Amino acid sequence: MKLSNFRFEQAAAIFRKDFLLGLRRRAAFAAMLMFSLTATANLSLSIGGAIFDENLLAALLWVVIFFAASAGISGTFETEAAAGTLATLKLYAEPQAILFGKMFFTLASLAALTVFLLPIFLILFDCTVAQIWLLLAVIFFGIIGLAAAGTLIAALTTSASVKGGLFPILLFPITLPIFLPAIQLTAAAISGADFETELLMTMAIFDAILITAASILFDYLD
Amino acid sequence: MLTAAIIAAVIFFVPPVKGLGDLAKIIFFHVPTAWVAVLAFFVSAFFAAKFLRTGEFSFDELSARSARLGFIFVLMATASGAIFSKLTWGAYWNWDPRQTTIFVLILIYGAYLTLRAAVTDEKARAKVSAVYSLLSVLTVPFLVFILPRMFFSLHPAPVINSAGKLEMDTEILTALIAAAVDATMIFYQLMKKRR
Repeated sequence: MKLSNFRFEQAAAIFRKDFLLGLRRRAAFAAMLMFSLTATANLSLSIGGAIFDENLLAALLWVVIFFAASAGISGTFETEAAAGTLATLKLYAEPQAILFGKMFFTLASLAALTVFLLPIFLILFDCTVAQIWLLLAVIFFGIIGLAAAGTLIAALTTSASVKGGLFPILLFPITLPIFLPAIQLTAAAISGADFETELLMTMAIFDAILITAASILFDYLD
Repeated sequence: MLTAAIIAAVIFFVPPVKGLGDLAKIIFFHVPTAWVAVLAFFVSAFFAAKFLRTGEFSFDELSARSARLGFIFVLMATASGAIFSKLTWGAYWNWDPRQTTIFVLILIYGAYLTLRAAVTDEKARAKVSAVYSLLSVLTVPFLVFILPRMFFSLHPAPVINSAGKLEMDTEILTALIAAAVDATMIFYQLMKKRR
């Protein structure tokens, strides 16, 4: 990471650009939200009111988040790639600024996704959360990791000819160290059981590593 | 290459005679292939890093070849492991930490090779797959740390073969190490052969 080259204004400008574009073209964002709604409704309807234990609920929640995120953030660089403006953007801004601008935007999208999804999920599955702060912390660290890995992988897949399905295939093994503790901690949050703080720490450390790695590796992609 | 294969055959078929039971023969195949599968993964990442540093396409070629070979070895290790598991523990698959790790390795190899297949431009493909290879290496230490916790907590009693690993005859150990060395040699030869 070349911090000396990093300009916060540039990252903020890219965030703002994507945000404004996102408001204008809501398709990708709406698709992500609708995907999460459809998946949750699908699961809830197919199950038809059966009572689940917390492990299963936690797993379902994270599976929905994972695939909704995949649907939403795989096209992070798509607009620029399709319009052929990615090269121009790279002339204007430092790669690091592009990466972090995109990453913050992805993080904001994922935060919006979970704000939308979580209440619906909890209501449809009639689930009470015993330790709400733990759940929020887990989701926070979870989506940071998804955003960091997702942004870099979205950059990787822009040059791929076959796009459908490629993104989740690439994302899943990378985010597994976040995914697995997240499920276990979410289960603990729902049931109110004791949890291992180490797992939360692991998620935070892995987030930091993913951000650093994305930052270092993004420089090589031009 | 041929000589290595012959030596391999000798090493593979000699030890079971003095081995424990017939079932134990599988480990002389299973352990070396699993070892090479993991080794190939790191070799692939190593050459990926070298490619990113130098921009030499020969390193990309080596990285890709290592991943392809690794994929074959990981499939062999998994298949032989599953058979061994069925015969000794009663099920082909039970998600114990080792099985999970090897499965993640299959996923990573698969994802890497899919990515390579999906990118047509040679330069872009080399860069993109090198970056992915290095990114995926990061997950391994974390999985090694996380997985035993995850899966012990689901199965409170340790169901894994921790007891079975306590003692090993020197003969078997020697044969196993020899087999692992030999598998590594085969891997090395295959890496060199198509250069």
